[in-house]
Amino acid sequence: MKVFVDSERCQGHTLCSMIAPDSFELSDIDGTSSPVNEVVPPEQEDAVREAVQSCPEQAISIEE
Amino acid sequence: MSNVDDIAKGAAADSVRKKNRYYFDRHTSEYRLQFEKVTEEMQAKCPMAWSETYDGHWVAAGSKEVFELARCPVISNDHDINGERKGYQGITIPKAQRATIVRGGILEMDEPEHSVYRGVLNPYLSPAAVKRWQPFVDEIVRAALDEKIESGRIDFVDDLANIVPAVLTLAMMGIELKKWPVYSEPAHLSVSTPEHSPDAARVAEMNRQMGIDMINTMMEVREHPRPGLVNALLQLRIDGEPAPDLEILGNLGLIIGGGFDTTTALTAHSLEWLSENPDQRELLSRERESLLNPATEEFLRYFTPAPGDGRTFSEDTEFDGTRFREGERLWISWAMANRDPSVFEKPNEIVMDRKGNRHFSFGIGVHRCVGSNVARTVFKSMLTAVLDRMPDYVCDPEGTVHYETIGVIQGMKHLPATFTPGKRLGAGLDETLEKLQRICNEQELARPITERKDAAVID
Repeated sequence: MKVFVDSERCQGHTLCSMIAPDSFELSDIDGTSSPVNEVVPPEQEDAVREAVQSCPEQAISIEE
Repeated sequence: MSNVDDIAKGAAADSVRKKNRYYFDRHTSEYRLQFEKVTEEMQAKCPMAWSETYDGHWVAAGSKEVFELARCPVISNDHDINGERKGYQGITIPKAQRATIVRGGILEMDEPEHSVYRGVLNPYLSPAAVKRWQPFVDEIVRAALDEKIESGRIDFVDDLANIVPAVLTLAMMGIELKKWPVYSEPAHLSVSTPEHSPDAARVAEMNRQMGIDMINTMMEVREHPRPGLVNALLQLRIDGEPAPDLEILGNLGLIIGGGFDTTTALTAHSLEWLSENPDQRELLSRERESLLNPATEEFLRYFTPAPGDGRTFSEDTEFDGTRFREGERLWISWAMANRDPSVFEKPNEIVMDRKGNRHFSFGIGVHRCVGSNVARTVFKSMLTAVLDRMPDYVCDPEGTVHYETIGVIQGMKHLPATFTPGKRLGAGLDETLEKLQRICNEQELARPITERKDAAVID
């Protein structure tokens, strides 16, 4: 599974990193998110799927 | 064709455009009491409605409508107080009485101006920046609870939730901590006191005093810079020029207005609900490691302290079959979108471990609440301390006072409770604030994350 954060859409709500802290890292300056690794380790896949559903801006997408 | 014909034709076209009508008045107490019914009705019949109230405005009540319109580039937040641009009225409907000189900071600005100011605030309020304050926040909470712990009685609004957000916000701004009552009282009362109230004059005077203190602080920091949001705004240069004083004041007012009453409202409502649901309270306390985050988001969704924002269409546009005209006003209801069953299963229930909770409580789009990380941090610190130190508290419904209306903030004035008394852990509030002021100064806590990475150390 691959994960992408649309930086145009992300507004730094931080829910993704709350749900999947190992998969998303936040900017120190404004809290916007980016994937730690584009390829998601199998044990993080469920958390990443939940992060996708929880993003208020619908800024996260995955490729199975 | 005569003018009369034109007008008649225009009116007919208008009535077609505005065919989905709903009488929506969020400033009445009926709206508070009938909130779930109104939400269900609007989402079923007219998630995008025209209401005749307040000179007429659109209301976005469905999650899809709110999601698209809040992120729409031809919708403006601008408040053009002096009639220099298009005369738009900012984010309040109707126009706020108080807003005659100063607009509401970044929340009443459009791009690119909005990003210029927001860029200044971000490094003070980002998750990493706020995390540094955690020990500081816990210490204010500890002292506030110590004031009441031996008595077995507390008012969660007056004695806790009004204090902590106020003290932290002032600390971040670089304003003296002991001044918190000067800012806290008017910040809450100006939201909860209706214009017709006999108390309105007193509240207006308190607001004036707060304004004077803000101006004095600004002048003081300009002369003798000290770390904090006041200094950050004073140091801002736009095309080589300092930001206008009135824009700085507007942003300071927004930080106070946004930072105080909202977090108080979230905390009071959550504590009230947990008192009514002691099994859930015990569960939350026991499994806080996994539950505290999702429960916090769920309380945010369900109680939506800031229930919505006004906007103005800056161009003719169309969404989902409705045509909007430039200059028309729009109310975006975060609170109603948060109860949309198409996004949230069992929307009118609090489910502490809710999944996929993409709530709207901090707004969405570029105007996402800049203080959201402060709100979460302060809320969690207060909540967990109460769960630890007053685990059996019982709120007193007789003494509980909710805001009469929820048009601006879904707030609470008083939430008294009793609990089994416990032991103090340290100094009282005044002494603690003196100590924290010293720590703030010595460690320069109010510097941005770009200049200081370490967490506060409380000695």
